[in-house]
Amino acid sequence: MKKKPNFPFVAIVGQERMKLALVLNIINPGLSGVLVRGEKGTAKSTAVRALAEILPRIRVIDRFPFRLDPDTEYAAYRELCALMGRTPEEQGELAVRESRVRVVELPVGATEDRVVGTLDMEQALQKGERRIEPGLLAQAHRGILYVDEVNLLDDHVVDVLLDAAAMGVNTIEREGISFSHPARFTLVGTMNPEEGELRPQLLDRFGLCVTITGIGSIEERVRIMEQRVAFDEDPEGFREKWQEESERLVARIVRAREAYSRVRVERELLYEIGRSCLEMGVDGHRGDIIILKTARTLAAWHGRDTVEPADVREAVDLALPHRLRRQPLMEIPDSVRHLRVKGAAA
Amino acid sequence: MMTLYPLAAVVGQEELKLGLLLNAVNPAVGGVLVRGEKGTAKSTAVRGMAELLPEIRVAGCRFSCDPDAGGEQCPDCCRGLVAGPPRSRPVRLVNLPLNAAEDRVVGAIDFSRAIRNSTATLQPGLLAEAHRGILYVDEVNLLDDHIVDLILDAAASGRNIVEREGISLCHPARFLLVGTMNPEEGELRPQLLDRFGLCVEVRACTGLDERVTLLLRRDEFDRDPVGFRRRFSSATEELRRRIHRGRRLLPRVRVSAAIRRFIGELCLAAMVAGHRADLVLEQAARALAALEGETEVKTSHVRRVAAMALVHRSREAAPPEPPPPGRERQQEREQHQAGDRQPRDDGRDGGDRADGEAGEGAGSRQEPAAGPETAGGQGKAPRREPPDTGQEEEPGPAAGTEEEQVFAVGPSFRVRKIASGRDRVVRRGSGRRSRSRVLQKQGRSSRSGLHGLAGDIALDATIRAAAVRQAARGGGPGLILRPGDLRYRIRERRIGNLLLFVVDASGSMGARGRMAASKGAVMSLLLDAYQKRDKVALLSFRRDRSWLNLPVTGSVELAGRLLAEMPVGGRTPLSAGLVGAHEQVRNYLVREPDGRPIVIILTDGKANVSLGRDRPVDEMVRIATAMRAEKRARYIVVDTEEEGLVTFGLAGRLAGALAADYFRIQDLRAQQLVDIVRTEQ
Repeated sequence: MKKKPNFPFVAIVGQERMKLALVLNIINPGLSGVLVRGEKGTAKSTAVRALAEILPRIRVIDRFPFRLDPDTEYAAYRELCALMGRTPEEQGELAVRESRVRVVELPVGATEDRVVGTLDMEQALQKGERRIEPGLLAQAHRGILYVDEVNLLDDHVVDVLLDAAAMGVNTIEREGISFSHPARFTLVGTMNPEEGELRPQLLDRFGLCVTITGIGSIEERVRIMEQRVAFDEDPEGFREKWQEESERLVARIVRAREAYSRVRVERELLYEIGRSCLEMGVDGHRGDIIILKTARTLAAWHGRDTVEPADVREAVDLALPHRLRRQPLMEIPDSVRHLRVKGAAA
Repeated sequence: MMTLYPLAAVVGQEELKLGLLLNAVNPAVGGVLVRGEKGTAKSTAVRGMAELLPEIRVAGCRFSCDPDAGGEQCPDCCRGLVAGPPRSRPVRLVNLPLNAAEDRVVGAIDFSRAIRNSTATLQPGLLAEAHRGILYVDEVNLLDDHIVDLILDAAASGRNIVEREGISLCHPARFLLVGTMNPEEGELRPQLLDRFGLCVEVRACTGLDERVTLLLRRDEFDRDPVGFRRRFSSATEELRRRIHRGRRLLPRVRVSAAIRRFIGELCLAAMVAGHRADLVLEQAARALAALEGETEVKTSHVRRVAAMALVHRSREAAPPEPPPPGRERQQEREQHQAGDRQPRDDGRDGGDRADGEAGEGAGSRQEPAAGPETAGGQGKAPRREPPDTGQEEEPGPAAGTEEEQVFAVGPSFRVRKIASGRDRVVRRGSGRRSRSRVLQKQGRSSRSGLHGLAGDIALDATIRAAAVRQAARGGGPGLILRPGDLRYRIRERRIGNLLLFVVDASGSMGARGRMAASKGAVMSLLLDAYQKRDKVALLSFRRDRSWLNLPVTGSVELAGRLLAEMPVGGRTPLSAGLVGAHEQVRNYLVREPDGRPIVIILTDGKANVSLGRDRPVDEMVRIATAMRAEKRARYIVVDTEEEGLVTFGLAGRLAGALAADYFRIQDLRAQQLVDIVRTEQ
C-alpha cells in the first residue's frame, strides 16, 4: 500500500506557537518534547505527522534494529550484539546509512510488549534460542515518539515511558531476560484536556507545552478550507507548490542547529530565568534548565548569537504553563503571562 | 554508557547528599527514601553516589559472595561451584524498573538450559544482582504490590528464597534500598516506609544565586559532559576519600550510654512505632561521626541526623497531606486539620467564606493568580459544561424556590481502603484499586492454564506438561515441545473502578457545615481516585430531581471543579437520586459488562420528595431494595446526619435496603500510619 502523502508542515495555517515549539525541538532535541493541548480538529496530528519531512538526517548503523549512532554508540552496539547472539562488526567496517529522523507513533492501545519490546517465547521454547523483538521505544531512539491522546495512555505504559525518558535507556526485565538498549527520544504528545489531565511526572517530561484553540478569524478559516481542499484534490501538486518553502524551512533549521552551540547568554538573563521560576512557583529545577535551552534555541532560530530578554520571555511562556506548582486536581493554565504581570505588580 | 553527573557538582540538596553519604559509609543505616518534587536531582544524586563507593571483592559465583568473609554463603559457594577466582568490581546500582516482572525480581528457571539440557537451574534475578550493592527504585510508590512484598521479604531477612518452577533455593540478598517518590502520586505502604532507614525531603532551591549556579552547571554538563566531570574530579576524589576514611573509621566509633539514652528519648518524644528508629538513628549518628573523622558520637551528630531517621516514623508525620500545600500556608492548613478532628462547623457562615474556601479546596490555595480555574472564577475562563447536564439554573436562585448556595469544600483527608471483592472475571485495565484477574502481562501470575494471552507463557507448567510425554516422543538430548504443551499464565493485579458519587445537595445539607464536610469527603475520595486511576462520575439531587453533574470520565480534575461549584438548596428527592444512579450504573454496565462500579451515596437519608405516590422514605427503601439486585455494583452509604439528641438513622435504613456498607464521614478516614503499624505488630 502506498502511503498517503503528508500535508506539508509549511502549509499549515496559523497555530504559530505549536509550530514554533515543534521546530525548536527539531533544532534542539535536548528540549525533550512538546505537549500540545487543545480541542479536536486543530491540526495537532497533522502538524506532528508533517514533521517527518522537515526532519534532518542522521547516521545509523545499517541492518540493525536499534538505530544506533555508529560513532558514539559503538559500545552499546557490541553489548546488544552479544545479547542477541550476533557477532559484532569492527567499528571501522560497520555498514552505515543515512536516514531521516523518524516520527514513531505510539497508539493509545499499544500493549506494553509492543512498547518495550519482547522475547519471542514460542521461538525460545521450540528452539531454545532468544529472539528479541524490539519495541516502539527502540524504533524511536534518536527520533520523535508521538503519542496522540497521551492522557488516555494506559497507566503501565506511562510508567514505562517515564522510566525510559528519565534514563535514556529502555530496560526489559521479564521472562528471564534482562535487556536494555538506548532509547532517547523527543516526546511529542497531544491531548484534549476535557478527557483528563496527565500525571505530574509525565507532564514534567515534556519540555514545552502549548495550548491551542480553533482559529477565530474568518479569513484564516477560509484559507484553511481552501488549502485542505486543494490538498485533497491533488496532494502531489499541492506538495510541489510548497516544496520551495519547505526547503527554506529545512535550511533554516539546519543553520539554527549549527548556530546553537555558539549562542551566548548573559548572566543577568540567567537571574531573570531563576526569578521567573521562583516567582511562579515551579517544582524542581527542570523548568529553569528547559527555559535556558529554549531561549538559546530561539536565539539560534532567529539567527542571533546572543539571547535577548524577549527570547527568555517567550521561553518562559513555552516551558512553564505545565510546571506551575499545582495540586493533583487543578487544571493547567493556558498562559503564564498574566501570572507574571501579577507577580510584578505585587 | 551515559556520562554521569558527579555528585560533588549537585548544588544544594544537603540533606539528600548527607543521607546518601551516611549510607555509603555505613550500610547498616538501611537505605534512604527520597521524597519530593520532580526535577530536584533525586536520581542524579543516587547514581552519583553509587560511583563513589569503593570496589568490592566478589567470589566467582553467581551471587557475588564475599570471598574473604566466612558466614553466610550462597548455594554455589557451599557446593564449590565457583566459576573463577575472586575479583574486584565496582558496586552495582541495580535499577528496578516499575514494569519488572516477578520472575525477574526473585529469579526464575533458566529456560534455555531447561530445554537444552533438561536441567532446572536458577537464573538469578535482580535481588541477586543487588546483593552487596544498591537496589534503586524510582517512583517506588508506584510499584506493584506484589513486587513490594518480595522486596520487603528480602530486605527484612537479607536473603532471597526462591520457591518456584521446581526450584528451591536460598541465597543472600543484602542490599541498600534507595527509593524516590513524589508524594502527590500516593503514599507508600507503612511496612515499606519503615524499611527505609532514612527519609529525606527534597525541594527546589529557593535562593536565586543557587538556582543560577545550578543552571550554569547543568548547562555546562550538557555541552561537555566529559570536560565537566574533569573539572569536578578533585571534588569527587575528595568525597571518595571521605567515604573511604569513614568506612575505615566506622568500626572504632563508640556510642556512649548517655548518647543511647538521648537517642531513646528522641524516639520516645517523636512517638515512633517500633524500635527500628532507635537502631537506625544510632547507626546514622555513627556514620556521621565517622564521616567527620571522629571516633565518638556526640549529641550534635545525633541531632543532625535525627530528622531523617524519625520523620517517616513519627506520629506527627503520619498522613502526609495528599495535596501538597503551599509553603506559606502550610501552618494554617495544619491548624485547620487539627481543628477538624472534632466535629466542626466551618461552613456556618455560608456564602461569604464559600468563595475563598472553595478555591482553596479545589486546589489553588497558594497561588492567588491561578484564579480563573478555581471555583469562584466568574466566567473568566471559558466554562466547559459537561454535555447533557442541564445547568439552566446556573446563576442564582431560579424559579422562586429556596435560596441556593455554594458551599466550601471542607478539609480533605486520607480515605480508608475501598475496593470491590474478588471474582473470577478476566478484565483488562490499569489503575490500582480492586484486584482482578487480568488479560495482560502485568501483575502477579497466580497459576497457569490452557488459555491465556498469546505470548504470556508459563514456562514451568509448559515444561511439566511436555516432560510427561517425552518418552512417547522419543527422547533426544533436549526437551521436545509440541504446541499442545503450551500453558499460559493467569495473572492478577489491581485495576481501577468506576466511582459514582451521588451527593445529596438539598437544603438540609447546608446546615451546620454539613455540605462543607461532605464536599471535603468527596474531595478526599476524588484524590484517592486520582491516585488509583479510577473513572469517576458525579450525580447530585436536590429540589425535585437528580442532576448529572459529570458523566463517566477519567478526568478527576473536572470532577473536583464541579464539586466545588455544586450548589445546595431545596428539598430532598432521594428516590430521584437513586434512580439516576441506577441509570448511570446500568448504562455503564452495558458498555462494560465486566465493570465493577462503586456507588458512593452521601446523604442524611431524609427524603421528602417522592417520584410517585408513596411516602418518600418508603419509596426510597423500595427503590434501594430493587437496586440491590445488581450484583456487579457495590454500594456505600456515607451518612451525613449530625449526631444529636434526635437522630433519624434514615441513611442507615437506606444502607440496609441497598446491602451497602455504611459509614459516617469520620469513619472514612484512613487509620493513622502509626496505628496500622501497631496493630500489625
